[in-house]
Amino acid sequence: MADDCVFLMGKFEARLPGDLLYARTHMWARPLEGGRLRFGFSAYAVRLLQDVYFLEWRIEPGTDVALMEEIGFIESSKAESSLYAPVAGRVEAFNAELLADPSGVNADGYGAGWLFDMTASPADLMDVAGYEAFLTTAWEKTQRVIKGKINEG
Amino acid sequence: MSRTRLTVVLSQAQGKNPARRALEESIAAALILEPGLDVSIVPHLYDLDGQHTGRLFLEGVAGDMVVLSWLYPRAAYWLLDRAGVKGKPGETQLKPEDEEEAGERAAEEEKPEPPQGIGAVDVPDRWIYTLDLRDHSDHRAFVDEVRRIAAECQARRAAASPPTMVELNVPQPAAFTPEQLMTPPGRRWYPVIDYSRCTNCMECLDFCLFGVYGVDGLDRILVENQDNCKKGCPACSRVCPSQAIMFPDYKTPAIAGAPVGAVTGLKIDLSRLFGGDDALKMAADERDRELVRDGRDAVGLTVGVPKRQADKPAGPKDELDNLVDALDDLDI
Repeated sequence: MADDCVFLMGKFEARLPGDLLYARTHMWARPLEGGRLRFGFSAYAVRLLQDVYFLEWRIEPGTDVALMEEIGFIESSKAESSLYAPVAGRVEAFNAELLADPSGVNADGYGAGWLFDMTASPADLMDVAGYEAFLTTAWEKTQRVIKGKINEG
Repeated sequence: MSRTRLTVVLSQAQGKNPARRALEESIAAALILEPGLDVSIVPHLYDLDGQHTGRLFLEGVAGDMVVLSWLYPRAAYWLLDRAGVKGKPGETQLKPEDEEEAGERAAEEEKPEPPQGIGAVDVPDRWIYTLDLRDHSDHRAFVDEVRRIAAECQARRAAASPPTMVELNVPQPAAFTPEQLMTPPGRRWYPVIDYSRCTNCMECLDFCLFGVYGVDGLDRILVENQDNCKKGCPACSRVCPSQAIMFPDYKTPAIAGAPVGAVTGLKIDLSRLFGGDDALKMAADERDRELVRDGRDAVGLTVGVPKRQADKPAGPKDELDNLVDALDDLDI
C-alpha cells in the first residue's frame, strides 16, 4: 500500500490517500465489491471549488457513459464546472445524500462525500504517485484558469 | 436636440418577455417628463444594422448619452464604438443587485490588471454611459442613476470653459418618429472588439476563415464584415489571448462581455480542469462545424492556430502563491 501524499497548492496542502486510485477529472476511485468503483472529488478539486452548494446530474443511474462524457454540473461559492465521466462504463448510482446537501463534498470528501458508483475497469486510473505527477504538470494550467486568462464557455 | 441636454436611449430586449418590457416601460414613463432629458426607445442595440433608423438616430446624437440595454455595459459601449457612436466611457455607480452587499469588500480587494489594449480612436469630447437592464428589477434604480448621471454631466459642462460659439449653426440631427425608430430589425450575430483590451495581435484575423475580420486605414483590427459571421459561433473569442472579443448575445458571461479578470463577481469556470476540452480545441471544433455547413473541408487545428498560446509561461511563483492565498481570503 502506497503512503499518503500531500500536494502543495501554494500554501494549501491537498492530502491524497495512498490507497485510492485517481482520474484526470480530479476524482478518486475506490474499488468496491462486485467490480464497482466508487468515485469522489480529490482534495485538490475540493480546494478549487471551495464551498459546494449545488450539484446536479444530467444522466439517470444505469446509464452507459463514454470517457469524459458530460454527466453533471457543480456550483460552489466561487466556481462552477461541468462534470465529466472519469472512465468509460456504467454509472450505477449517485450519492443521494449529496443531492439533498452537497456540502458533504467539503465535509468528508474521501468518505461520506462520495459522488457516484460505476461499473468500470480501473485500468486507466492512476495510482497516487501518478496523480501527484499529473497535478504537478496541471498546476500551471490551473493557475491560468483561476486567473481568468482563458476564454472558457 | 441640444448639446446641453442628456440623451437617454432605451434599447429594448429581443422577443416579448413581459417582465423586460414592463421594466423598459416603467423607466421610460418615469424619465420622459424629466426636464433636461431627451428619451428615445430603439430595438435591441446589437440587431441594428447601418441602415436602421434607430442606428441613424444614435449616430446623430451629439452630446452626452446614457444607453440602457439588455447587454453588459462593456459590450454595449464597444458595440456603439464600432457603429461610430463614440464617446468617453462614463462610469456608472449602478451595481448588480446581488453584488451590492459585496460591493465594499470587493472594492478593497485586488483590482484586476489594467488592460493594455490599443484603445479607441477619434473619441469626441462627450460621454457615453452604458447601463445593463439586467442589473436591477426595480425601475427606480435606473431612474435614480440616470438622474445622477444627468447632474454629473451638467456639473462637468459647467466646469468646462464656457462655449465660445452659440449653437446656432450646429447641424441638428434628423428627427425620427418613434415608429421609425422601432422598425423591427432582424436578428444579427457578430463579434464586438473591446479595444481597451485588444493588442492588435491579429490572431482572430488568422483564425476566422469566413472573412469577418479586416484592418482599417490605421492597420488596426476591425470587424469588417459583421454579417459574414456564423450565427452561434464564438470561436474567435476563445482564441483571443486578451479576452477582447465579445459576442454580446452569447450564453456564457465571459464571452458576452461580463467584467473581466475579477475573481469576485464572475465565478471561475473549472470545466477545463475537470475534463472539458480546452478553449482552443472548442474553437477549432466550432469553426469546423461552420466550415462543413458551408460545404468546405474541416481544418481542425491546422490553420490559423496561435502557436504561442499552447504553453503560455506562468507568472512568478510568489504571484501564484498570492492567488491561492487570495482564494482563502474570499471565503464567506
